[in-house]
Formats: sequence, C-alpha cells, structure tokens
Amino acid sequence: MAFEPVLTRNIGNPAVLTVDGYRKAGGYQGLAKALKMQPDEVVEEVKKSGLRGRGGAGFPCGLKWTFLPKGLDKPRYLVCNADESEPGTFKDRLLMERDPHQLIEGCAICCWAVGAHTCYIYIRGEYVEPAAILERAIRDAYESGVLGDSVLGSGFKLDIVVHRGAGAYICGEETGLLESLEGKRGQPRSKPPFPAVVGAFGCPTVINNVETLCNLPHIVERGADWFKSIGTDERNTGPKLYAVSGHVERPGTYELPIGIKFQELLDLCGGMYQGRQLKAFVPGGASAPMLAAKMRDVKLDFDTLAKSGSMLGSAAVIVMDETTCVVRAAARLAKFFAHESCGQCTPCREGTHWAELVLGRIERGEGRESDAELMLRMTKNMSGTTICALSDAAVGPARSVIVNFREDVDQHIRERRCPVPPRRFFGEGN
Amino acid sequence: MPTVTIDGRTVDVPAGTNLIEAGLKVGVQIPHYCYHPRLSVVGQCRMCLVKVEGMPKLQAACATQVMKDGMVVSVDHPEVKALQEGVMEFLLINHPLDCPICDQAGECGLQDYSFKHGQSFSRFDYEDKRTYPEKERIPLGPTVLLNMNRCIQCSRCVRFTHEISKTSEISFFERGAHLEIGTFPGKPLDNELSTCVVDICPVGALTSTQFRFAERVWYLDKKPSLCTGCDVGCNITIEHRRGAIRRYKPRLNEAVNDFWMCDHGRTTFARYAAVPRLAAPRLLRGGELQGVTWKDALDAVVHKLKGRSEGAVAFLGSGFLTTEEGFLLAQLAAAVGSPHRAVSVDGGPARTIPNRQGGITGRDAAPNRRGVELAGMVPGEGGFDADALLLGDAASRCAVLFVADSDFGAAAHDPKVIARLRQARVLVVMGWADSPLAQAADIALPAATHAESEGCFVNVDGRLQRFERAFPAIGEARPGLEVLRDLLARFDPHWQGLGPEEIFARMAAALPALKGLAWRSLPAEGVKLATTGGSPP
Repeated sequence: MAFEPVLTRNIGNPAVLTVDGYRKAGGYQGLAKALKMQPDEVVEEVKKSGLRGRGGAGFPCGLKWTFLPKGLDKPRYLVCNADESEPGTFKDRLLMERDPHQLIEGCAICCWAVGAHTCYIYIRGEYVEPAAILERAIRDAYESGVLGDSVLGSGFKLDIVVHRGAGAYICGEETGLLESLEGKRGQPRSKPPFPAVVGAFGCPTVINNVETLCNLPHIVERGADWFKSIGTDERNTGPKLYAVSGHVERPGTYELPIGIKFQELLDLCGGMYQGRQLKAFVPGGASAPMLAAKMRDVKLDFDTLAKSGSMLGSAAVIVMDETTCVVRAAARLAKFFAHESCGQCTPCREGTHWAELVLGRIERGEGRESDAELMLRMTKNMSGTTICALSDAAVGPARSVIVNFREDVDQHIRERRCPVPPRRFFGEGN
Repeated sequence: MPTVTIDGRTVDVPAGTNLIEAGLKVGVQIPHYCYHPRLSVVGQCRMCLVKVEGMPKLQAACATQVMKDGMVVSVDHPEVKALQEGVMEFLLINHPLDCPICDQAGECGLQDYSFKHGQSFSRFDYEDKRTYPEKERIPLGPTVLLNMNRCIQCSRCVRFTHEISKTSEISFFERGAHLEIGTFPGKPLDNELSTCVVDICPVGALTSTQFRFAERVWYLDKKPSLCTGCDVGCNITIEHRRGAIRRYKPRLNEAVNDFWMCDHGRTTFARYAAVPRLAAPRLLRGGELQGVTWKDALDAVVHKLKGRSEGAVAFLGSGFLTTEEGFLLAQLAAAVGSPHRAVSVDGGPARTIPNRQGGITGRDAAPNRRGVELAGMVPGEGGFDADALLLGDAASRCAVLFVADSDFGAAAHDPKVIARLRQARVLVVMGWADSPLAQAADIALPAATHAESEGCFVNVDGRLQRFERAFPAIGEARPGLEVLRDLLARFDPHWQGLGPEEIFARMAAALPALKGLAWRSLPAEGVKLATTGGSPP
C-alpha cells in the first residue's frame, strides 16, 4: 500500500516537540499560507475537502463553521475537544503527545477561518502527560511568535488555553464539555440552541476534535483536491487514525486512508493474536454496535459502517477472538455507560442502569427467557429519546449483542451459565 | 403571530411559545415533569416528546418553540404514545411504589400519568430496585423533608432555588442512576420560600413537615382565598377538612404572587387554632361572663351607643377586617357622629414574593390595612388615632370603645394595653378569637375567621382582591359583615338584610377609588386601585 502518513508523519521525531523542530519538519507552512488567504477562502477549502469530524459523529467540518451567526457583537470561541474518553480510543493522545504543534497549527487555522481569538483545548483529566506536553508547546509557541498578539507576524491575535477535565466521559459530549468548561456540572445542554449560536460562555463556539483540527494544516497546505484523493468516496475523504486494541498481534494507532477494509487493517496489525479465530469486532469505540466476524470485509468509513448497522465513531477498533464472551463484553460496556450517564434524562438514567442489570444477569447465567426481548424493547425506548447521544451509545453494544450474537445470548440463558470460562485480565474484577 | 397545528387543532401563538403552552391553548395536555412555566427549560424528563412534522426524531415539547407558521405537531401519534409508556416504565422501575404511605398520593404526577399514559404491568424485578439507603427522610431544612427513593430527578427544586429564591441550596449530587438531590453540608434549605419546592415537586420526594401526614389529600376541600400573613395578598387555596384547615397552597396570580408564597404565610392559619375561639355572644355582668342571644347582644351594643350621655365613642379597626367590614364600621361611626376611627396594624418583617414584575414586598403583619383605611377608618377632625387608644389615655375618655377584631395584633394579648382600653366605660369587642381582650370586654361579639367570610382585601400595591368563604363559621359566630350590618340597620333600616354584593355596591358608590366596580365582575387577578388614600365617610 502506497500511503504516506499525513497526521503521523512526525511521530518518532522528538524534535517536533519544539517550534523550531516542527518548522524544520515542514510545520507551520499551512498556517502561514492560511493567514495570507481570506478566512472565507479557508472555510471554502475545508468544505471542499469533505473533511468530516473525527470525534465520532462525522459531521462535515467546514459546514459546521458556517453555522456561526454573522454580525453578532460577541466574541467567538474555538473549543478543541481533547476529552478522548471513548473506551478503546487513543488516537488524540498520540497526536498531542508526539506532535503537539500540529494541533496548535490546526487550532490557529481554524480560529483564523472562523474569526476566533481564543481557543480552549479541553483535555481529559487523566491525560496528565499530554496536557503537560501541550502546555510546554504552547508556551514555546507564544515565545516564538506563533501565538499571542500577532500570529506569525500577521497581526492576528490568538490565545490558546489548556483546560483539564475531571474525568467524566459525558464531558466529551460537546455541550457537556462546555458546561464543564464554564465550571458547572458536566451535563449536556438541550439543543437548540446549538453551540455555534450559544456555546461557551453564551458566545458562538466551534467545537472540533483533535484529529479533525490536525488535518487542517495539510488541507490548507496541499489543497482540498489532494485531501479528497484519499479515501473511499466524496463523502469519506482523507487520512484516518485507527486505534486498534484487543486480540491482535500488534495493537496500536494506524494511519490509513479512510475506508480501509477491516480485514486489511487486521492484516496490518499482524493478524489475530496467536492465530486465533475472529469472533467479533467493534469498529468505532465502545458506543459502536459490535459486529460479527462475517462482517470482516466491511469498509471502515462513515457511510459504509452506518449502512452495516454500526458506526465509525472514533475509529477505535476493538478486536475480540473466539475466547471472548461477547455477552460479558457487552455487560461490561453496559456497566461503563450506566456509570457514566449524567442522569438528567429519564431513559438514559434508568435505561443504562436497567441494561446493566439485565446483561449482567444473563452473563452470570441468571437470565430469563424473556430477557432478550426485554433488552430489545428497552433499548428501543432509549434510542433517540434523550438530550445527548450517550443513551444511543449505550444502546450500541447492548442491542448489537442481542441482534448480532443472539445464539451466544440464548446459550447463556439456556445453559444457565457462561460458556466461556472466567479469566482475569488487568483491571477486571470490577 | 405564527400558527401551529397540534393534533389537528390550529392556533395562533406569539413567536417563541413552546409546544406545551401552545397545546394548552387548544386543549391538548402534553404530559411533562421537569417543565415549569417559571423555571428554565431543561428538557430532561423526556415525558413531553412529541412528533413534529419534518423532524426525524421526537422533539421535547418544552424545548421546541413555535417560530414560524405551519408547524404541525402530533401528540396522539403512536410513536409518542409508545415513548410515553417507555418513559413511565423507566420512571417506575426504581420507584418504591409506596403510595399507601406516601403523602403525595392523590396529587402525584407519577400516579396521574401512570393512569393516563402508563402500562398496567412492570417488566422490572422487584429485588433489583435501586434505593438510596438512609435517605428516606432527610430534612433538607426546617420545612422540607426529602425521600430520595421517590425522586424522579426532574430538577425543578434545584432550578427553583437557583432561579426563583436565588439561594441555591439544593443541587444535584452523583450521577447516572445514583443521581440525587441534596443540600451542601451546613447549608440547609432555609429560605422564606422553601416550601414552594414541595408544591413544584411532581412526586412525593419533597414533603412539607407542616402538612406531612395531616390529611389524605382526597379528603381535602379546596377554596380560593387570600393569605393574611402580610399585605402582599398572596392568592391561596384554603385546603380544609370539615372546617379544619390543613394547609394553604399558593394559587396562580401573575400580578401578585405568581406561583409562589412564603413559608410564613403557610403557617398563618395556625393562629385560628392557637387562640381559643369566641363561639357565642357574651356579656360581662357583675364580673361574670354570661352567654346571651345575638339579639340581646346587638341590642345591648346599640343601647350603649345611643344611650350615652357624655364621652366619646371610638372605633378601633384592624388590618384583618375585610374592606366591606371596614366600610360598615366607618358607617357605624358616621351614624353615631364619631370622628374616632382608627386602625391598628402590627408591623412585620419585610416579606418579598418574587413575580415576573420583579417581586412584591409586604411590611404589615395583616393583609388589609389599606382597604380598611380606604373604606373610611381614618381619624376624622380631632379623632383619636390608634396610638392614642393603645398607648395613650384616649380610652379613658370613651363612653363606648368598639374594637374589631379581637386579635388585631400583639396588643390584644398585652395586659397593659388591655387595661388601658378597659378604661372605656363600655368596651365592645368583635372577633373570632376569645383573646384576653375579648375576655375583658363588656360585650363580646363572635365573628367568623377570614376563611369563614367573604370579602375584599387591598394589598400593598393597592390591588383590590376578592376572596370566597371556604366553609361556614362555627358555633354562633357570624361574619363580621353581617354583625356590623345588623348594628347599622338599627340606626338606618336601609341596611336591613343586605348581602355582601349589595354592601359592596354601596361601598363602590361611596368610595371614589372603587368607582365602577361590581362584586360579581371583579377580575380574578384583582383590580389595581387608582388611589388607596383613606377618607372620612
């Protein structure tokens, strides 16, 4: 495969942690070019590139920027969502740890394009080291004239502030993040109004994921047409980071053109761990419905996966082999979502808790005949009925284990036991 | 104004109206828990989801505003019905279902909506219920108890303390299924409006320490009335069982108390039980109290009023009289040619009730000083004022001193003041309370409480508001209006047998401030009077 890494091209070069080193590696060219363009031209270029949000929802990035109201006498903000807390996802961490200036450059381009002079990077609380690295890089950028009163001498004023979260999954939801950023309880807001109109501190706000922003320098520097040449089709363009974990020989973050087939990705990872058989895989982080092994030829892009009953999400690929109890996996995820639900919406507060109980008892061999149907009915009431998408996220694994692995579920109920012997992994037992 | 069609019924609404309010305009009730017209919209109970044409997902009616013409909404859509059943099921799975011992039973949002929108069965297992151990009766403050097991996390109480009382005592703690409300250590729910959180709590999570277990709500009779705690004039509902008042609840009046009332006001009916009741007319003869008939009592009063040879006749009114009673008292003074008309009202702490105009503050400890003064109970030329009677020696110069009512303030219980008033040769006291003052009276006339009367109060803003009788007076007590009317009729037969409506009409004809008002057509929110200054009759 003749794919030259884009986002990860500087990974392995520790020199890029400084402004000078990053410049030597070709950095800040995109920002310099952007500053010579009109902001509208930058927005146009990004729209043309077809870049879709890499945080999970896959919303077209340039289009999102155009939702900012014009002629409003209020400051605009960019918030970089670095609260990477979707289980299985570790791509943004890599970008921030190993190439922080790429993110700073992306933030600066976005701010220039949308007319924001302040950017908040909301980073998850557990990312202590990435936060420190970012802070150092930002300080360096201020001292080198990349940030501050005149970005690269253009007269454009820009401040970037790193804000550390306190460890709640829900603060990765963009309005939950804003509440947390404002110092309140991290509870998603009812929309509309959308953040583009009423965002951080009541002002118009663009919220983009780390990886999304990291794409911007390259789009500006090399053009939308180059970006569009990578990927599956017009709607799924550009390079994508896949964070692979689970039963593969070489887990890790892989940068590939968006839309690579799961099997190809698996091969790049050295195949299944110890040559075992594939049982199931999650293509897009914990909230993506689990797919069965027969789906191994699916293309890992936004639209194909949506059509296949799952989603690309954060592109965290979790691979499970034949020794895995998928019911236990689903039960464990249900526990996660029940733990992380903020509790404000009834279907999510009560539903995630109920799903945890029912999947737990099925897994323990205490399930009832009616439990599979109960899960289907219950998860239906949880889908699309809440303020944010956490409820839908919880439905992903819970429903898919019933739909795609019905035989496993029935076996648990029929035999009144889990057919897979219990194993203790690091961190299990909770 | 944009139009919206809800379940086939089209209505014009101001732009920005949410679908719950728009629904009410066409008679479609959209079920909801967290929405309250005076609190910020959070859309979190998810009970009000409706189908909006053109939207892929169900929309929260509380958070969806009608902005432009042609929105089409279905509430009776099968998807909506299924959603409502689902939400009800979710709400009930962890609910203790302890209705038989729950104070909210009978006025509970969960009961009502279960009946209307729920299912008749549960798929949840009893033994798995989430509970909040040790949190079944947590005092949030002096007036409110929390049973966390019953809470449906609608956040109305949280928003009330943040947005209306602005005291922020209640907050959310924890999250997910363990989300709970509570107060911060050392910061109890203790503000003047705290019991309002019990009113707005849709379930039995928050109960009032005052009302708890006092009565099953379905045994309560409810009558609209006014609070007598101060001169704000909060609109209330008197809830009683056979004349025993169990609680006051605020009643919506946007111009006055909106949806709210203060904790003090809710306790004011306690005085009707705290002071013994004067139940029959009574004369003091030779140091002994003797029961007499109404006719004898009234004749005795008139005899004293007409038969005096020297000395003044003074009338001391109170802020607890209705405006009509004040008017009749002033007319009685006029009939005997007395300029000695005064009103005594205790001052109280300032009490502020928030409303959308910014709030209204009362400072009197009685509801109607302005109305009684307006009706003519102000000293005429050379007349005694309240201080002269209560603090000075004016009473000693009185042939007859007529005090209404017997519990006009703290002074009615003060032996020194009573001794001073007692210096009048004849002391007539009318009122519901058998106060020390009533016991010292030569003639005591039992009157109805305000709950047993009807009439009007004029509040601190000069707003005239009418209230109804909640239940009949006990014993031989009669509404003050009838007593004063019968006394007046003995001077002028034109007053014979007049009812409240006719007396109001005479009052409206006599007082410029009430010009053009009629008893029957007084608007529900009251009438703001142009002037509230009192003038002699």
